[in-house]
Amino acid sequence: MTWTRRKFGCFAGATCVAALSARAARGQARARVVVVGGGIGGATVARYLAASAATLDVTLVEPKLRYTTCFFSNFYLAGLRSLESLTHGYETLAEQCGIKVIHDTVTTIDPIAKTVVLKGGGSLNYDRAVIAPGIAFKFGAIEGYDEAATQVLPHAWNAGPQTKLLRQQLESMEDGGVFLIAAPPDPFRCPPGPYERACLVAYYFKQFKPRAKIMILDAKDTFFEQDLFQDAWNRHYPGMIEWLPGQFTGGVKSIEVKARVIKTASETFKVSVANIIPPQMAGELAQRAGLADQSGWCPVDPMTFESRLQPGIHVVGDAISGGEMPKSAFATNSQAKVCAFAIAAELTGAEQTAPHLFNTCFTVFAPNDAVSDSINLKPVAGSIKINDIFISQVGESDELRRDVARTANGWYAAFTHDVFG
Amino acid sequence: MIVLLITTGMLVLVANRGVIAGDSRGAQLAAICASCHRLDGRDKGIPPIVGLDQKEFVDIMAAFKSGERSSQIMHAIALSLSDGEVSALAAYLSVQPAGTKQR
Repeated sequence: MTWTRRKFGCFAGATCVAALSARAARGQARARVVVVGGGIGGATVARYLAASAATLDVTLVEPKLRYTTCFFSNFYLAGLRSLESLTHGYETLAEQCGIKVIHDTVTTIDPIAKTVVLKGGGSLNYDRAVIAPGIAFKFGAIEGYDEAATQVLPHAWNAGPQTKLLRQQLESMEDGGVFLIAAPPDPFRCPPGPYERACLVAYYFKQFKPRAKIMILDAKDTFFEQDLFQDAWNRHYPGMIEWLPGQFTGGVKSIEVKARVIKTASETFKVSVANIIPPQMAGELAQRAGLADQSGWCPVDPMTFESRLQPGIHVVGDAISGGEMPKSAFATNSQAKVCAFAIAAELTGAEQTAPHLFNTCFTVFAPNDAVSDSINLKPVAGSIKINDIFISQVGESDELRRDVARTANGWYAAFTHDVFG
Repeated sequence: MIVLLITTGMLVLVANRGVIAGDSRGAQLAAICASCHRLDGRDKGIPPIVGLDQKEFVDIMAAFKSGERSSQIMHAIALSLSDGEVSALAAYLSVQPAGTKQR
């Protein structure tokens, strides 16, 4: 039993020892929460559940031994950070936070029997389950781009081997070559991500392949922080980045993978390196477990993040229909805390404070030039609505931009500490 | 005598519940801060927020709320917290030991 190893020092002051003895004295079995998916959402839920309610048995199921963050992976593509510095293990969660970490894959979830079945054999019973499945790609939306094609033309939209492959391709690309980014339709993980990627790859090109070009073939007509990006492209990388909106091209229609030929309805581009970021939907397990609706995303109650389709199962992170809440690591972490406190309240009778939801995205144009956008949100009529929004402006001082870049780096360290310990 | 005992007992009970409820509320609110600030005070490049005097914390949050101190992130956070929530946070964070090893 893992609870014998449970230590109460994971978060000082956040434990409820009194509740532990009350439940134990009544001779009841400990309530069990199974968290599936060890990304930002799953790890945060598990950590805050274990810390806020010591009476709970918290199990985290994740196939990978280590997790590489997709946020900040554009720094790696620019040669500014190692992949190792973006990679986090589960040791602290397992050894110091009292979470039972199982490295396995969940094959099925039975919401009636309240059981999660593991590929490696065996199953786990739960009182509440949390699924944090991340995103899946709609292969087939672009003709010719399937799972096998990602080994030639990476999406690099889940960090790890895909990011490494893209970096290798950028490194071996000839000076004067064309790097194409296919940007996906809304909604997708990390709204500024594809455009920040263009910036940071341009930063790398400017130093090592100054004649290279970057083309963004967008499925959309506008994109997040567009004025800020276009200003930054002109200032830092004049003439290097071309953005083609969906209204002119209709977006990517088909791909000849081996030839690296990308086709729209009327044009054909032969490129040196292509980063195809496909249309997205909730992660595969969410689809199989009946947690996603026709939109491909998971509808949830924003007060608790309990699924509207499968009672007793909660969903957090990029996989949900988030209303006005963007798909980001920060947003996911914020949702996961609200979810953890709601589950703790449900299972232990602890009080839940009114849910607060936030998001902040840091966007880096160049190592000393970054912007942020911050929002606070509230559950309103079953959806999530933005209350206040503050975004950086074109024309801010260099000093302010440098400050934000510094803050972004400090944030990464604190944030990943919050999630993984 | 009996009345006194009962009264004392009730007082103790109320006081204890207050402490637990306050801690739990403070801890849940502090979880918001922990997305950017380490609750062990070992921040790098982010201002530490633990071990601050309660009044100082309340004043800082008021300045972020009004915009007198500029920070997009803190403005968005301060606007969403009630005065009661800021006080609860101030109390919770003020007693968190700064710079101690806590993982």
